[in-house]
Amino acid sequence: MAPTSTQHSALGPQHSDTVINVSAFVKRYKKYAAVDGVDLDVRRGEIYGLIGPDGAGKSSLMKAIAGVLTYDEGTVNVFGTLVDSERAAERVKQRIGFLPQGLGLSLYPDLSVEENIDFFARLRLVPEQELAQRKARLLTMTRLDKFRDRAMKNLSGGMKQKLGLICTLIHEPELAILDEPTTGVDPVSRREFWAILAELLQAKGMTALVSTAYMDEASRFHRLSFLSSGKVLASGTPAEVQMLAPGLMVTFEATPQLDAITRLKTQYKQVEALGSLLRVFTEETIHATAMQSITSSLGDITPVQLRVDEPELEDVFVALLLRQGEQPTAVEMPPATPVTSNDALAIEAKGLIRYFGTFRAVDRVSFQVKSGEIFGLLGSNGAGKTTVIKMLNGILPPTGGEGWVAGVEMKTAGEAIKERIGYMSQAFSLYLDLTVEENIRLFAGIYGLDRQETKERLAWIVSMAGLKGYESSLTGRLPMGVRQRLALGCALVHQPRVLFLDEPTSGVDPIGRRHFWDILSRLAREEGVAMLVTTHYMSEAEHCDHLALMYAGRIVAEGSPGDMKRQVEKEAGQLLEVATDQPGLALRRATQAGFSGAALFGTKIHLLSLDPPQDEARLRTALSSDGVHVQDVLVRPLSLEDVFVYRVMVLERQEQATVKEAAA
Amino acid sequence: MNVRRVAAVASKEWRETVRDRMFLSLAFLIPILWMLVFGYGMVLDVENIPYAVVDRDHSSLSRDYLYRFQQSRYFDFKGALTDEREVEPLLASSRIRAVIIIPEKFQERLLAGQAVGVQTLVDGTFPLRSDITKGYVIAINTAFSEELVVAHVARIKGLAPDRARQLIQPIKLEVRYLYNQEVKSAWTIAPALVMLVLTLAPPLLTALGIVREKERGSIYNIYSSTVSRLEFLVGKLAPYVAISAFNILVLWLMAVYLFAAPFKGNGLFFYATALLFVFITTGQGLIVSLLVNTQQAAAIITVVLSIVPTMLYGGLLVPVSALAPQTKVIAHLFPEMYFTNIVHGTFLKGVGIEVLWPDVSVLVVYAISLLSIGYWLFRKRPSV
Repeated sequence: MAPTSTQHSALGPQHSDTVINVSAFVKRYKKYAAVDGVDLDVRRGEIYGLIGPDGAGKSSLMKAIAGVLTYDEGTVNVFGTLVDSERAAERVKQRIGFLPQGLGLSLYPDLSVEENIDFFARLRLVPEQELAQRKARLLTMTRLDKFRDRAMKNLSGGMKQKLGLICTLIHEPELAILDEPTTGVDPVSRREFWAILAELLQAKGMTALVSTAYMDEASRFHRLSFLSSGKVLASGTPAEVQMLAPGLMVTFEATPQLDAITRLKTQYKQVEALGSLLRVFTEETIHATAMQSITSSLGDITPVQLRVDEPELEDVFVALLLRQGEQPTAVEMPPATPVTSNDALAIEAKGLIRYFGTFRAVDRVSFQVKSGEIFGLLGSNGAGKTTVIKMLNGILPPTGGEGWVAGVEMKTAGEAIKERIGYMSQAFSLYLDLTVEENIRLFAGIYGLDRQETKERLAWIVSMAGLKGYESSLTGRLPMGVRQRLALGCALVHQPRVLFLDEPTSGVDPIGRRHFWDILSRLAREEGVAMLVTTHYMSEAEHCDHLALMYAGRIVAEGSPGDMKRQVEKEAGQLLEVATDQPGLALRRATQAGFSGAALFGTKIHLLSLDPPQDEARLRTALSSDGVHVQDVLVRPLSLEDVFVYRVMVLERQEQATVKEAAA
Repeated sequence: MNVRRVAAVASKEWRETVRDRMFLSLAFLIPILWMLVFGYGMVLDVENIPYAVVDRDHSSLSRDYLYRFQQSRYFDFKGALTDEREVEPLLASSRIRAVIIIPEKFQERLLAGQAVGVQTLVDGTFPLRSDITKGYVIAINTAFSEELVVAHVARIKGLAPDRARQLIQPIKLEVRYLYNQEVKSAWTIAPALVMLVLTLAPPLLTALGIVREKERGSIYNIYSSTVSRLEFLVGKLAPYVAISAFNILVLWLMAVYLFAAPFKGNGLFFYATALLFVFITTGQGLIVSLLVNTQQAAAIITVVLSIVPTMLYGGLLVPVSALAPQTKVIAHLFPEMYFTNIVHGTFLKGVGIEVLWPDVSVLVVYAISLLSIGYWLFRKRPSV
């Protein structure tokens, strides 16, 4: 879009198709500018994405567009109406549906599913007859019809999210503004959500402005803006954004890994260790040259299993952020007592069972974590991950089974277990009114370190977590990424050999997350600390050495990230990405043609195929007979999210089959 | 104003309130509990004081003297002790609050016309209660002494006892208490408690109900929809006012039947003014809810704003007329005082609008202003 003057845009939309036009938008809270000079242009019928970490300014911008928040500078035009007063905002509100942030928080917990929908509809004066029809259709479509009478507070996360969507769209607005609708929901529910949203928008010709903190959802949007610290860093179609930081991702294995990383870091800004793999972003755009330059910068270390891919959008964002000068502080692992490399088991769970009443929350869970290994526990909300961690920590007694942590039997050890482990939770459990140093000293005091030890550990933590210069800053004023590293430092104050991390990276920006994982992998490799991590960012699970996927209290798949992908590829095939000119229609045809796992990603369709050449031909025939033009079919590498979704879908289908059998 | 939207908000609010255990008890149970707790806690009458006696004389006169205490409804006889050493532990453990010790030769010396000292030990932990206890002891003692004197004069002068009494006490004081004939504090306090509970419960329910939506973020459903400010406020507050309207009846029944307060006025007039007062306190809750963002803050501020003026300036403990001049001015700033006048007027004096119209008009002004301020403060497009 050509840059337009503020004055011009204040007069009205430039484009007949423009639904939202925001120009030079500034929103301040006291003196702090949460959004600082943002332009935005959303056209009819598109799904427009606002991507960025917590605190980037997404919510303020969306609220101002929805007419529920004042702003300080610039203009906001919605449907050609300048939204600059409560009265002006009222004029466009009937045409807008707004879903505020927070899973299920906009709904009323004590009302049933149906009562929630009725409330929203009556507030919007939807005629009763029409309400009944729409309700029936939406409930069927979201598979919530069986739960009409269930109180909202008893719904699962994914169901709450779908109900929130129904309530926001029940008056069939022309514009849906959805603030982080997928945060805190498992990948399966997220995919379902995107499918439903796409279908609804298409059926009614709605426009949507959607924000997300998950970088990997960026490809779902027609166009998007990437926000960071209140400014737009990049905007356009996913392809256009990708062009802003041209380059390639090179993935390979190299040993010794730490030396390889050191050498690569002198030349490349983005170097990531994913288990045994190394991932490097290079600005070279030709595959052969990219490989060559990597090989030469590694010197006498020979990379194996070299592979070159197009970068993900997250890599592009990180590259853009780095270009902005947001240089991550280099990780300097201070020398520590060298760990005698022992393959001793740090954590062992053997047939853990836990009942809550008659509900089996954890069902015969067994796994092993070696010293220096990063073990990832994945699963939807309520799959039993936290219960497993609590049992291993000795907080919750198991109903059955045994477990050892750092050589101690968890049932009998009691307090002794807590001295040997570190625990870092989602909430970070820091004291926000204390300074960084005071927080570290407090935790040192709690674990009974003497003066000399405290001094040593303080220096070690500050250097390890990159907290230099922050020592006397108040914790509450720190950026999320720094706060998170401080929490990690505090969990390590007593030099535990085992570290539990419960969703440690929620709400942190991509650079902060990568920095954090850098520290974790160094802690594992150099200090030999064993780690058990839970996360709902599937892209992060790639950093783990070993993964276990939990479903309904059981571990249903296990292995390294590579193993898990290979297993799925063997069972269900490779991932095909299909680009067409009519994605909605194409998806329906593909599903009818028997590609049951087909799903929409932005404008492209993803599906699994055991025989790519033959399936491609079959798909092309099926689609072209309906007049859909297939632009491109590509084989893409599977992501862990694909693995997760595939595994859970298979299990859900099995479950349904058994239920049906039992009924028959 | 669109009735359908108001109905949608009101029915949602009603369902949420009765289904949430916390809100349900806040709506219906807490007012009753407050009435009970404050009612039994604040009744200031001192009756049935547990006491013991040590009678060293064992004469007919000493028995006669002690019998006066046993007969009084203000004292509760706990037993006779033989040794003074038994007194201390009983007083210390609060099993008794007073001890009367009759010395030896009580009868002998009295009959000989000598003065006798009767030692009375009173638990002084609570000065008010101790003073009242002392007052009762003095009253009984004075009556007994007087009778002795009357008997003596009658014997010497050969007069009839009544005539002798007239000689000794020429002026006889006759006090009649109006409106509260038995001067029972429950009569005065129980009606005032209706005021206290109506000052506390409706604004608490209102403030928490609105701030709950702000805290969760569901208030954005209201902000982002086309429901008008007035429609929302009417729909949101209607269930709370309805709940309080029901509670007025419950509280009135408790005051009249449980605390046996007399109700002499017009029931309809009382109900109407109580409802008016509920509008005022609901308006207070609304204003608080619009100024704070967390339920804790809302609860604390509402309770402080309600309790302080009620207790100190509302005429609950001390009548406004007995306050210092500056304090009296402050008292006139709070609506509580005017409603207390109405409550006491209707319950004890049996007066109605013809006397209480100034108080009623002030309340009308309060109700209109507070609700208007609330409406004016509520924004569908706030700056934070």
